[in-house]
Amino acid sequence: MPDRTALLMEPFAAVCADYYATARRAAAGGRPVAGFFCSYSPQEIFHAAGYLPVRVFGHCGGTGRADEVLQPYACSFARSALHASRSGEYDFLSVAVFAHTCDTMQNVADLWRGPVPVMVTSLPSRLEGAAARRYFRADLERVRGMVEQLAGPVSDAALLSSVRLRMAHQAAMRRLYALRRMNPGLLSGAGAFRVVLSSMLMDKADHLALLEPLLDTLAQEAGAPYAEGLPRILVAGSMCQQCDFADAIERAGCVIVGDDLCVGSRSFELPDADGNDPLDLIMENYLSRRPCPAFHKPGHDPGRQLVEMARNANADGVVFLMTSFCDPMAFDHPRADKCLADAGIPSVTVFVEQHQTPPEQLTTRVQAFLETLGGGGGA
Amino acid sequence: MSAPLYAGVDAGSATTKAVLTDAAGAVRGSAVVPSGARLADAAVRALDAALHAAGAARGDVARLVATGYGRGKVPGSDRAVTEITCHARGVASVFPEARGVVDIGGQDSKAIALENGAVRRFEMNDKCAAGTGRFLEVMARTLEIPLAEFGPRALRSADPAKLSSTCTVFAESEVISLLAQDRPVEDILAGVCRAVAGRAGSLAARVRVQAPCVMTGGVALNSGVVRFLEEALGLPLELPESPQTMGALGAALIAAETAAART
Repeated sequence: MPDRTALLMEPFAAVCADYYATARRAAAGGRPVAGFFCSYSPQEIFHAAGYLPVRVFGHCGGTGRADEVLQPYACSFARSALHASRSGEYDFLSVAVFAHTCDTMQNVADLWRGPVPVMVTSLPSRLEGAAARRYFRADLERVRGMVEQLAGPVSDAALLSSVRLRMAHQAAMRRLYALRRMNPGLLSGAGAFRVVLSSMLMDKADHLALLEPLLDTLAQEAGAPYAEGLPRILVAGSMCQQCDFADAIERAGCVIVGDDLCVGSRSFELPDADGNDPLDLIMENYLSRRPCPAFHKPGHDPGRQLVEMARNANADGVVFLMTSFCDPMAFDHPRADKCLADAGIPSVTVFVEQHQTPPEQLTTRVQAFLETLGGGGGA
Repeated sequence: MSAPLYAGVDAGSATTKAVLTDAAGAVRGSAVVPSGARLADAAVRALDAALHAAGAARGDVARLVATGYGRGKVPGSDRAVTEITCHARGVASVFPEARGVVDIGGQDSKAIALENGAVRRFEMNDKCAAGTGRFLEVMARTLEIPLAEFGPRALRSADPAKLSSTCTVFAESEVISLLAQDRPVEDILAGVCRAVAGRAGSLAARVRVQAPCVMTGGVALNSGVVRFLEEALGLPLELPESPQTMGALGAALIAAETAAART
């Protein structure tokens, strides 16, 4: 990585070194912070009302306070987030925003105890059709009303401005992924993951201001030779809350060239919506995404979609990061696995706990997988 | 200086193994030592013991490949290769027709489906001691039975006990309950062997191993587990002369092959 790129990457790495330092500073300075548990919650409405929207990732460490109230089959993301909340780690939040994605997250919303209000946004389970649009639109209006009760009126102009900022940021992130697909030697997958994570932990305007010079620099270096010989890997899964996972995968001797993660390209690899109605723009934005496994979109085949993504990224193989007890992902996985096998794209599935540092077994499995591809010179 | 040797060091959780081969792949020396708390020291001790057995010196080692979970800690290693690839390579050299490998080591177990000697598919256990050598060690300690007697005494049972849990901690409680019920020790030992075999059998079923299938790792020295695993798989298991050192052998062979490819 050239010196200038390394320099431009420092702020992103700094944000990821202490996830909520930015949010705590904002809260201390008087800006309210809204914590989101799902990429489908309409953060634009909160942004327009003056909140700093940040994604809540569970912490890395024990889950004892969550274990007091949550069943053992709840996923590690839910457990670690609830533990952190009950331990006071999120006391800087002014509002906690959940989306009804699965029963476990609904339970966490019900169990959330703290000094701040809790909101649950509700998306249609079937992300298509006139009824789904009416339902979604009504929920966005409900959320806007609740936000206005907390923070005062939210004008259409402010909302449109936040939506346009979100879209501009999405376009910039798409550009980053496109540059890396072309030449992943420009920036490691672990570095790109830090850019993605930090975008969910700071204001989009501030992030965009850091991202644009990085993109310009990468574009100037796009023709630089790419270190050949490393297998190109696509990472798939649901949540991925630690940079350590990307580090552990690349340490096994590969380069990550793309992802199908909610903390990743699913949040920004989508077409730009047209129009001037901010709520409709938000709705189109969320409906046009590759859906999260918790939702159903008629005609969407997660297996065929993954095959197409792997081919577009010219990936040599796919690594599934399966969060234990993530039922929606577990339902999609067999179909995805079969489609990849039928298409002749090798894959490996690794079960992970979001709150634990990746164990040695993860690197061993990924490295062994890479060795079957003829690579794996790491670790 | 004598003819160059190629070293494979398998830094496992319970034991560290070293194998030395010549350029043609013939084994010239091997050693197994306890890993202890310092993996790097154990690797040096294993390599020195293997060199001693081969009547050679460190300067005779032309290339060293490290494997096992401590592969990143082996001093002087030229390359680190996973134990999955190394076990497959070691087995393929001894059993060229093999289509499956079940390896049960001190801390993990794995099942590998082979195709023409190469890894086609593999599965590893999760980060848990259930169904591994450590599980057997804990049970042996609870039952006050030397590990060497574990398998032969288990095979004497006509009515193996049923253990409902393969979690090491819960299974230990179950074993203590069985002892309190005066169940013969042989039945309990057989139950423990069957529990380990059942877990490894599930891994093997996931990768659809086929005969000829080879068992490697220290647990292959337990005749009780071998018998129950054969039952679980519905396949006879081939046993190498030295099942513990198959990974180190594979690493040594990879060292020799990659050295040849570089010249």
